[in-house]
Amino acid sequence: MPQSRVYLWFIGPALLLMCVILLIPILIAGGLSLTDYSLGNTGASFVGLENYERIFTRSTYEKMFGATFRYVFVVVPLTVGLGLGAALLIDSLGRFGDLYKTIYFLPVMAALIAMAIVWEFAFHPTIGIVNATLERGCGTVLERWDWYAQGCERTFPLWLNDRDYAIWTVSFIGVWQGFGFNMVLYLAGLTSIPPSLYDAAEMDGAKSGWDRFRLVTWPLLGPTTVFVVTISFIRSFQVFDMVEAFYPQGGGPSKSVYVMMFAIYEKGIQQNLMGIGAAITVVFLAFVMILTLIQRWLVERRTHYV
Amino acid sequence: MADTTLDQSMAEATPLRFSTRAAITHAVLILGALIVLLPFYTMLSLSLKAPHEIMQQTGGFLGSQELFRDDFCIKLGNAVQDCMVNPIIYNYATAFEKAPLLRYLLNGLIVTVSIFVIQVIVALPCAYALAKLRFWGREAVFALVLFCLLIPVHAIALPLYIMLAKVGLTNTYAALIIPWTISVFGIFLMRQFFMTVPDDLIDAARMDGMSEYAIIWQVMLPTAIPALMAFGIFSVVAHWNDYFWPRIVITGNRDLFTPPLGLREFKGDADGDNFGPMMATACIIVTPLIVCFLLAQRRFIEGITLSGMK
Repeated sequence: MPQSRVYLWFIGPALLLMCVILLIPILIAGGLSLTDYSLGNTGASFVGLENYERIFTRSTYEKMFGATFRYVFVVVPLTVGLGLGAALLIDSLGRFGDLYKTIYFLPVMAALIAMAIVWEFAFHPTIGIVNATLERGCGTVLERWDWYAQGCERTFPLWLNDRDYAIWTVSFIGVWQGFGFNMVLYLAGLTSIPPSLYDAAEMDGAKSGWDRFRLVTWPLLGPTTVFVVTISFIRSFQVFDMVEAFYPQGGGPSKSVYVMMFAIYEKGIQQNLMGIGAAITVVFLAFVMILTLIQRWLVERRTHYV
Repeated sequence: MADTTLDQSMAEATPLRFSTRAAITHAVLILGALIVLLPFYTMLSLSLKAPHEIMQQTGGFLGSQELFRDDFCIKLGNAVQDCMVNPIIYNYATAFEKAPLLRYLLNGLIVTVSIFVIQVIVALPCAYALAKLRFWGREAVFALVLFCLLIPVHAIALPLYIMLAKVGLTNTYAALIIPWTISVFGIFLMRQFFMTVPDDLIDAARMDGMSEYAIIWQVMLPTAIPALMAFGIFSVVAHWNDYFWPRIVITGNRDLFTPPLGLREFKGDADGDNFGPMMATACIIVTPLIVCFLLAQRRFIEGITLSGMK
């Protein structure tokens, strides 16, 4: 066979790069997380699990997990839900559907750092469009809502600079940016459902739109949903750009937006505390890998059924 | 028969549906579209307006477009009448003058194109071998690819940074490119695609005396163009917009800044009234991809479909 050895040349470079760029760094992170290494120091001493102990006991890292999980558990359900909702609505329209699709997809294409800067301006307490719009609603029925009346009386929230609002405001921008991506995946899933199934369901007595959704659309979108949910988790765990743009130092008011990627950046790069940074990296990787493994398990279980 | 009755019922139902349900659907979607477009509107509008119009929130979308006094120009000792400028020209000219924006855009182009080309050169042969060649250890290599799909490169930035620092490569183009040279997603995607290419095509090429290299680049590559386009769009969008990795490996050397870094630097030293030029920079950075997307929309969405359908 002429191809006997040639495969080595084909897989060799990829294999080498996979090891050097993906696998060895994980080992390095694992190793460094047990030390107090700093870049530029000649040596480092072994500190055992001290770094991990800090991560799971100190209040700074409690805030880190709090901010990360708040962000993730707001952004994932909302991007998936809005993605599905937008896809269903657009799918039900004959004309103009493509126009909405294009518009909703724009944030996915735009550099998040640029859009974050624009949103920061929009949420600006005095010259931003958000509070300016809210003020216009003062004196109307909206004032019957306590929160709104309070805003009119004093001021509307500072949004990004208020520790009670900051993480939710950042989450909102995350949802704004991400749901169009999920919408496109759901639209693709919807087109792959054979129309004959809806006819069959109708014959079997599924009269209302809700019945058709419950009995046909939702089960058949199962694989898409598993994929969409996983990819949303992984993407939202990695939130960084906005946080760094809004809060270059310290992770927001009272560290309320101190997400994990920012913590890795702050500890490792800004403060050169590689040990603790590596430990956060390891915890982060564990989260992401467990999530992906759950997804694969779900997909495989499903394929046994079908 | 069944089709014609269906068509008839559709034809009857359409006007009714348009009046009620479709109207609500449109209302909801339009509301969503307004929220989605709001920051784009703000960005474009601010990049067209004069500083005082921005601070006082006057002038609507376009601003009055009256000439205004550029205080910085006066500080330089010029006469007042020489310092009257049009807001649009002022904003966009400042964007290009204050920082080497063209250089940043060029850097962005160099980095994204290099990454994509290297990714293809590495991934395509590997994907071909995994899909079409039989060799000992093939399953193990594929299992490794599946495992590596679990690893987000951003997450291992710290050890990668240390490795690059140890070999003295921080603050170089290489640092921006090297971590992305291997795309396991690309390998996986192309392998799945090559699985669908009939073996007969490859056998015929071998019969014609083509080498395995020639088969990859002359037979497999052309059949894979749609999948490659999809992957390319993914890759380019991700790396043009990437902020995290350049932020880590490029420290201070402005000649190597990518567009997102350039914009961020602008923000760093923007005093209160410099929103106009900053938004102009944001517009310039966001525009190339948006324009490409609008031109090749269908392909783009096909691309994402492909990757979603594992």
